[in-house]
Amino acid sequence: MKQTDSCLTLPNDIETIPQLSEFIDIFCEEHGIDMSLTMSLNLAIEEAVVNVMTYAYPAGTTGEVKIQASADEDTLTFVLSDSGTPFDPTTKADADTTLSAEERPIGGLGIHLVRHLMDSVDYQYTDGQNVLTLKKKIIHQ
Amino acid sequence: MIFDIKEQDGGMLATVSGRLDTPAAVKAQQEIEPLLQNANKVITLDCKDLEYISSSGLRLFLTIRKEASSKEGKVIIKNINDEIKKVFMMTGFFNLFEIITD
Repeated sequence: MKQTDSCLTLPNDIETIPQLSEFIDIFCEEHGIDMSLTMSLNLAIEEAVVNVMTYAYPAGTTGEVKIQASADEDTLTFVLSDSGTPFDPTTKADADTTLSAEERPIGGLGIHLVRHLMDSVDYQYTDGQNVLTLKKKIIHQ
Repeated sequence: MIFDIKEQDGGMLATVSGRLDTPAAVKAQQEIEPLLQNANKVITLDCKDLEYISSSGLRLFLTIRKEASSKEGKVIIKNINDEIKKVFMMTGFFNLFEIITD
């Protein structure tokens, strides 16, 4: 499989999430990814993108988030970038999944899912941009 | 509409279907209101046609579960597919609900 790239830019509006899901579905289809992994990737990337849409820009202001997807022989790479407030989601404490329903906080699951669904999650702040790189290894049958 | 709610013997039955992504979950916050009001009863969430759930969808399930435990009701989740089961395992939600298959 040769290195290929796809790119999508969305405004910080969660109503555009269906466009993201279509973008991921098409990318996965082009690379022969099975349905189960496609759903996992959809979920991880939705959570990471929603996180940017919700927190990167001050309320009431507009901004963008760019999603670049690429594939080589054994790895899928998704790079999210935005020019919002510097924020490293990888430093957030992991959700405690052993708590009872009464004790469970209502939030904090998004980044937990990103970490558990992907093989690696790396954050960098460069040239005024938050850059989050998500990687997933493809297991060939 | 994601949550289609009916009264049934002893409680409420909600058929949950489609994609519960972030924008859908925001809209569905209104839809679960009758379930929260009846959280002292048995609430059954039938998820056989639920295709996808994000963390904001999971939050709706947790909201219902929390309301039920404060009102001494009960939440049963029926027929989740394997992919959603995986998400439930990953987040510890599997242990928070009574999960059954028809």
